[in-house]
Amino acid sequence: MSLLGGLGRSAGLFFGLVCALPVLADDITVATKYGNVTVSDKVERIVTVHEGALDAAFALGFEPIGAISTRGGDGVARYIQATAKNVNIVGTARETNLEAVIAQRPDIILASYRLPAEQYALLSKIAPTIVPQGEGIRPDGWIREMRVYAKALNREQEAEQILQAVADRAAQIKTQLQAKLPADQRGAALIRWMPQGALVLTSQFFTTGLLAQTGFEVTDSGLIKPGRPHSSPLSLENLSKIDNDWIFMATLDEEGQKALDAAKQSPAFARLDVVKRDHVFPVDGQLWTSASGPIAANAILDDIQTLLNTKVQ
Amino acid sequence: MQLWFQTPPAQRSILSVLIPVALLLVFCCLASLFYGAGEVGPIDVMALLMGGGSDDARFVVLELRLPRTLIGIFAGLSLGLAGALMQSVARNPLAEPGLLGVSSGSAFAVAIALVLGASTATLSIGLAQLGALLGCFCVMGVARMQGQRNDPIRLVLAGAALSSLLIAMTSLLLLYNERAADEIRFWVTGSIAGRNVDQLLSLLPSFVIALACVVYVARPLASLALGERVAIGLGYKPGRIRLIVVFAVALLVGAATAIAGPVMFVGLVVPFAARALVGPDIRRTLWLCLPIGPLVILTADVFSRLVAQPAEMPLGVLTAMVGAPVLLAIVRAHRLPTL
Repeated sequence: MSLLGGLGRSAGLFFGLVCALPVLADDITVATKYGNVTVSDKVERIVTVHEGALDAAFALGFEPIGAISTRGGDGVARYIQATAKNVNIVGTARETNLEAVIAQRPDIILASYRLPAEQYALLSKIAPTIVPQGEGIRPDGWIREMRVYAKALNREQEAEQILQAVADRAAQIKTQLQAKLPADQRGAALIRWMPQGALVLTSQFFTTGLLAQTGFEVTDSGLIKPGRPHSSPLSLENLSKIDNDWIFMATLDEEGQKALDAAKQSPAFARLDVVKRDHVFPVDGQLWTSASGPIAANAILDDIQTLLNTKVQ
Repeated sequence: MQLWFQTPPAQRSILSVLIPVALLLVFCCLASLFYGAGEVGPIDVMALLMGGGSDDARFVVLELRLPRTLIGIFAGLSLGLAGALMQSVARNPLAEPGLLGVSSGSAFAVAIALVLGASTATLSIGLAQLGALLGCFCVMGVARMQGQRNDPIRLVLAGAALSSLLIAMTSLLLLYNERAADEIRFWVTGSIAGRNVDQLLSLLPSFVIALACVVYVARPLASLALGERVAIGLGYKPGRIRLIVVFAVALLVGAATAIAGPVMFVGLVVPFAARALVGPDIRRTLWLCLPIGPLVILTADVFSRLVAQPAEMPLGVLTAMVGAPVLLAIVRAHRLPTL
C-alpha cells in the first residue's frame, strides 16, 4: 500500500515539475479582447493578420514571416514593401487564408481589434492570437494597439521610445507649420476621389489624427455617421462641402498626380477653391487610408513635411 | 363622349395618349432641374431662370443637373426603343437588353478597355456597341432555339445565365486590375450623374443611324407579328429585318451603356407601359416609348437624388426596384401576351 502511495506521490511530483517548466521559461500573459493570452517570451515566427501589426512588428525589430495584403493590392502596402520583402501573404483584410497561416507554423499571431470571434476561435487554435481591446475608430487607436503587441513581443520599452519619437517629430513639424501657415489657413480634410464624387474620411482616423497632431485642423464637415470610417460618396452637388484650406486626396494607385488630373476633369471638382489654389495634395491611399503603425506614421510625416517644403511658402 | 381611358388601348388615337405623356415628361424634366441632393432648391432655380440666381445655383443647374437630364433623356430613349424592338423580334414581352445580357456584354467590353488602359473619360463608344452586338447575337441565338416560343421564361433564364456569366467575368477583371476597379465599379452600377456630357455629342451619329433603322423596320416588324408567312407575302425578308433590329438594338444599348452604364429593367418597363396605353401594335408602341423611356429614367433619377442626401443612390438600384415587380407581374399574368 505504502509502495503504491509512494509511487503515486512521486508521479504527482514529476507531473508538477513538468507543468512548472514553461512557467520557469518566463511566459508573458497579455490581456486581450478575448481574455488573457499566454505567449512564450522567445517568439520567432510571427504572423500578422493586420496591417498595423505588421508595421509595429517591424518597427520593434522583428521579421514577421506572414502578413495580409493591403487593400487594393496583391502584396503589402508600397511604403513597407522594401522592408517586408520576405513576408508571405496569408490573406486579405477581409479574409484570412487559414491554411496559409498554418503553413507558416507561427509562434504568435497578431490581429486587429476588429477580428471577429469566429476568426479568433480558428486562429487561436493555430497559435496564441493577440487581439487588442478596441474602442472603435480613434486617432490614438494605433498607439494602444502597438502597446499590446509590444507587450506580447516583450519589447515594451522599445515601443515607448518609438512612440515618443513619432510624437516628437509630429510636434516638430507642428512648430514649422505654425510658423509658416496663419491660423486661419490650417483647415484640412482627407478624401478619396471617385468618379461619382468624393468620400470624406473621418477626423478620428489614424492619418487624420496625425494631421491634427502636426497642426492641421481636420474637419469632416459633419458628413460622417458616428462610428463609420468615412462618408458615403457625396453627390457632386454637395462637393462644395469638402472645400477646405487643404485637401489630402488618397488614391489607390501610385500615380496620384494622374488621379488628381482626372478629378479635375469633373467641373464640380475643378471649381472648388482648394483646387483653384492648387492646395490638393495627392497621397498614396495604401499608406494614408489603409495602413497604421509607427513606420506608416513616419512615412505620413514625411509626406506632410514634403507638403510644407514644396507647397507652403 | 368617351374619354380616352375608357376605350380599349388598341383603339385609342395615338395623339390622345402621346400628348398627356409628353406633358408629363416636360414636368419631369423640370423636376430634374429643380431638385437635387444639394441645397439648390426650386426657388433658387426659379430665380436663375428669371435671370438672377447665385453662382452656386448657376453651376449646379447648368453644369450638373442639365447634363444629367440630357443624358437621362438620351438613355431613356435608347433603352425604351431597344426594349420594344427586342421584345417584338423575340416575340417575348420579357426580352429586355438588361436582363438578357446585352448590357452586360457591353459592360464587359468596356471593362476590358478600362483594364487595358482606357479611362472612363475617353471611353470608346464603338467598343461598348460591339460588346452589345455580341450580347445580342448570343441572346437571339438562344431565342431561336427549339421550343422557346412556347415558353418565354426560358429565354429570360438563358439571358440571366449569360448576363451573370458576363458580370462574373467583369468582376474577375476587377480583381485582376485594381486601378480600373474604381472606375469600373462606378460605371457598372449605372448612373447618369457625373458623366461626361461631351460624350453625348459623339453618340449622336450612331443614335441617328439607329433611329433610321427603327423607322425602316417598324412596318415590317408589325407584319412579322402576324406571322412569318404574312411578312414574306407582303414582300419583307424576315431574316434581314431581324438582322437590322439586332444592329439597331446594339447601337442603342451600346450607346446608352457607354454613357450611363448598364441600367437594368428600363427596356422592360417602358414597352410594358406603352403597350398598356396603346395596345400591342409595334408601330404605336414605338411612338409611346419615345416619351415614356426618358420619363422612367428621369423619375427614377430624381428619386435617387432625394432618398440618400447628401449622397445619392445609384440609378440602377431604383430602376431595378421598379422593374422587378413589373417583371413578376408579367410572368404571373395568366396569359403571357404573344407579340
